Amino acid sequence: MISTLFLTLIGADNGQHASVAGPALVEGAGSSSRTLLLLLAIFAPLVTGLITLFYPRKGITLRVLTALAGPVIAFLLLLNHFNVNGVQPLDAGSGPVAEISWMPLLHLNLAFLTDGLGLFFALLVSGVGALIVLYARGYFGKNEDDLYRFYPTLGFFTTAMIGVVLSDYMLLTLLFWELTSISSFLLIGWDRYDKHAVKLAMQAFVTTGMGGMGLFGGILLFGMTTNVWTWSEFINFGTWWQAEYASLAFNNPVFWAFLLMFFGAATKSAQFPWQYWLPGAMAAPTPVSAFLHSATMVKAGVFLTGRLLPVFGGAMVAADGLRAGLEIWPWLVTIIGGFTMVLGALISINQHDLKRIFAYTTVSQLGLLMCMYGLGSFAYEHNGHLLQNIDFDITQIANHAFYKAPLFILAGALGHVLSRNITELNGAIKKHPAMCITIILAGYGLAAGPGTISFQAKELFLYAIYHLKYTAVGNWWMLLMAAAIVTATCNVAIFIRLTTTLIGLPGGFKADPNAIEADHHHHEHEHGFWASMIWVPGAILVSFQYIGGFVPSLWMRVFGDLEVYNNNYFAEGIPTFWGAIIHGIHEFSVPLMCSGIAIVCGIVLGFSPIFRGTIKDVCDKIYPGIYWLAVTGGGKAFRLIQTGNMRHYTVMVLIAFLSVFYFVSLGDSKMFDLAVSQLGSFNEFWPGVFLGVIICTTALSLPLVSHRIIRILLLGSCGFTVVAMYLVYQAPDLALTQLTFEIISVVLFVLVIRLLPRDVPKYRPNPIWRIALGTMAGLAFGWMTLVAVGADPANKLGMWFTMNSYEGFVRDVYNAGRGGGGKNIVNVILVDFRGFDTLGEITVLSLAALGVWSLLPSRRSRKTS
Amino acid sequence: MTSLILKTAMRLIVPLTLLFAVYMALKGHNEPGGGFIGGLIASVSIALYRMTYGAESFDKLLPIHPRILVFVGLTMAFLVAVFPLLFDRPLLTSYEQYLNLGFGQTVHFVSAAIFDIGVLLVVIGVSVGMIDRLSREVEK
Repeated sequence: MISTLFLTLIGADNGQHASVAGPALVEGAGSSSRTLLLLLAIFAPLVTGLITLFYPRKGITLRVLTALAGPVIAFLLLLNHFNVNGVQPLDAGSGPVAEISWMPLLHLNLAFLTDGLGLFFALLVSGVGALIVLYARGYFGKNEDDLYRFYPTLGFFTTAMIGVVLSDYMLLTLLFWELTSISSFLLIGWDRYDKHAVKLAMQAFVTTGMGGMGLFGGILLFGMTTNVWTWSEFINFGTWWQAEYASLAFNNPVFWAFLLMFFGAATKSAQFPWQYWLPGAMAAPTPVSAFLHSATMVKAGVFLTGRLLPVFGGAMVAADGLRAGLEIWPWLVTIIGGFTMVLGALISINQHDLKRIFAYTTVSQLGLLMCMYGLGSFAYEHNGHLLQNIDFDITQIANHAFYKAPLFILAGALGHVLSRNITELNGAIKKHPAMCITIILAGYGLAAGPGTISFQAKELFLYAIYHLKYTAVGNWWMLLMAAAIVTATCNVAIFIRLTTTLIGLPGGFKADPNAIEADHHHHEHEHGFWASMIWVPGAILVSFQYIGGFVPSLWMRVFGDLEVYNNNYFAEGIPTFWGAIIHGIHEFSVPLMCSGIAIVCGIVLGFSPIFRGTIKDVCDKIYPGIYWLAVTGGGKAFRLIQTGNMRHYTVMVLIAFLSVFYFVSLGDSKMFDLAVSQLGSFNEFWPGVFLGVIICTTALSLPLVSHRIIRILLLGSCGFTVVAMYLVYQAPDLALTQLTFEIISVVLFVLVIRLLPRDVPKYRPNPIWRIALGTMAGLAFGWMTLVAVGADPANKLGMWFTMNSYEGFVRDVYNAGRGGGGKNIVNVILVDFRGFDTLGEITVLSLAALGVWSLLPSRRSRKTS
Repeated sequence: MTSLILKTAMRLIVPLTLLFAVYMALKGHNEPGGGFIGGLIASVSIALYRMTYGAESFDKLLPIHPRILVFVGLTMAFLVAVFPLLFDRPLLTSYEQYLNLGFGQTVHFVSAAIFDIGVLLVVIGVSVGMIDRLSREVEK
């Protein structure tokens, strides 16, 4: 039934927009339904994931199919949206299209930006998400408990991730961004009883959470400076800001906003020095790694950088020429990205665990993508035009997803049947040919071998580096090129070692004869359709690599319209791989030559005996440092203030209050005059003065007695004198309340005192500073009372309540003719005018009672015992 | 406290004070009184009863856990507070009406009265509950 509903919705949408020619943006009712449909696409995975919770535990196939429906529905809706509306052009109009109001005052509404970058990512997430649902069935087998928990969490993540990439409001992006952190925490710490995994989950969460805070600060700073709160307005930002904000000045808020946002992007996308969390996150089950840590979540930072590039990176090729970006962008992003790229590659080759190898190559590739966006900020002249030094960024990102996700999927599959340790996989192809062939095909993509789209993507990247020599960078391009060659060399070497090991050729890792054969067969093996799901999704994904490599026209049909930047190198679109080679030979291409060097070096390194051990990442030490600072250091700082001693708290509160009070009132002569003028008329209030003396005497005698019960009774007598005070000044309500309240509080006090240990405190003369503090506090409160009584607003408020308590006045703007309908002003104030206060007070009362009930044992349980 | 005089007197005092508490709570809108005072008076009388007769008789007098009183009271107050939101009025907007009871009698009903009764229940529940729990701890 639900699916028919969806289909009707899609059909309705189709009908509505069929008459509109081209990708025109439709305003009005049609577009708000568009927003609703996108909302549906975003939440479909979560909803279907939650539905699976209500299935009987044994209904596995039904569970899989339902969980599958979510991402599939999202994918179809997005595809339909793409077909009907096309890609939202970046310079169309300004502001979000068709928003649904949520919290307008906080600049947080529901509106979605479906430009090429966002749509591509949303399609990628939902598409890969559907395959991961199938893979999870193969990976977890028939384990109901795992699948029961996994699908809702996976749906949660998928929804959050699609939300990140589609949101138009920056704060909405942030909201989903944090949700991806939370869901990824849940997924990494999947095995709740594995303390190590939970620790690593915490590490990922804290690291990306810090970045999220940075992003939050950046968005707020930017929004408050420029009043731009949506990505669509951001991208359409005119040129007015550049003169003021482009500089690398420390008083430039946009500069700081960018730094904060980039911090968020860098932690999420595991850039140096924050890359340590990503290999740590490999504690997650492989479906999670294949989804979150290759294709989607770690790319959120890359995505954010892509969002920021047009404005902060500047150099957006627009009709009006180039816009200047932030001066810091090209250097910061390129250098961090480039360094992460080469660092990740060097660590990855020194690993044995398949998942760790691929984790570090992911770090390396994320660095490459960052670096690509950094290069996008440079521009060079070509045939009289200024061109931006970035090309086919969507292809670069898609290429990575189409080989890295399969690598993870197959690493999990091999770990499932044999081992994840590469040294134990010698000759595995004889036992599991399908898996091994798929992983080798995917590894060929990692090596960027000719025939895969990866090859063209690497060419494009190298070409962008080569073009640096036409920019301000000059000959320093060679440094980055060297880094790229080292990276490519490592990738090729990893592929060579993987292949030779799996096939059992010389040059591969040999099984260590001394190692005891570990029993990895924990799982009950299945056969048939569902069992094959452990490698088929990987094969499906990797096939895109080869389709892109051999039939680039088909690839361009799919991704061409989504590309944000496609303007220079391959003017007619991405060529076939031999087209790229011919293109290179024809022009004597330095990039092609560099590729060749990398491949040769990689093959040599692959067969060589060096770099075969395992090494540790130095940055792994960062998180324990942060953790120590937060927990141990923070705890120490906390205990300085929170001593747990009631007296210290009282002193602290009093000192803080008194210093503020005296600071304000001593400088204001009016406060002084008011109080003095009130004091002057004391002889009009002789009953009050008389009672006041009694109260003061009782209070002053309190510190002189040491017995607790007597102290309580003295306090009570203070209270009863106050009751008399109320009666004298005609406040029967207050008198009654005070009277009954005093009774109850004395009873409660006596009960509590009887529960306290029976030590009788010795009489100690009070230190002078305590007496001073007490005197100061007493003076302050007396002064405040005098001022409050003498101040003008008190009278006005009183008058207002007197007039309005029974019936209001029509002219009064505050109540528009509506009174409280009661003659007792006090009570009308309590339940009507200030009813919200009363509501809060009774809530606090209830909480206090709850505290007593939970601290002391239950009355019902005691009755039985 | 097992004085016979007190015990006998309590039989008379407790019903009267409870009645008085209800009276205070209801008339509070126009004359001195109100839910808070009513609740406190009732709590005092119940606490006195508990001191006189002990825990078991108290359980008979109030057969439910006091937290149920707190829960009901808070819910009532909260519902009265948010009810006007349904009609696009601000939180806690009060509603008044003269109800005709027949025989020529009318009652001035204000929705704040329900709020006040909620306060009454919370105050009774909290103070009685605390006193009872602490007393049991002392008697242990």
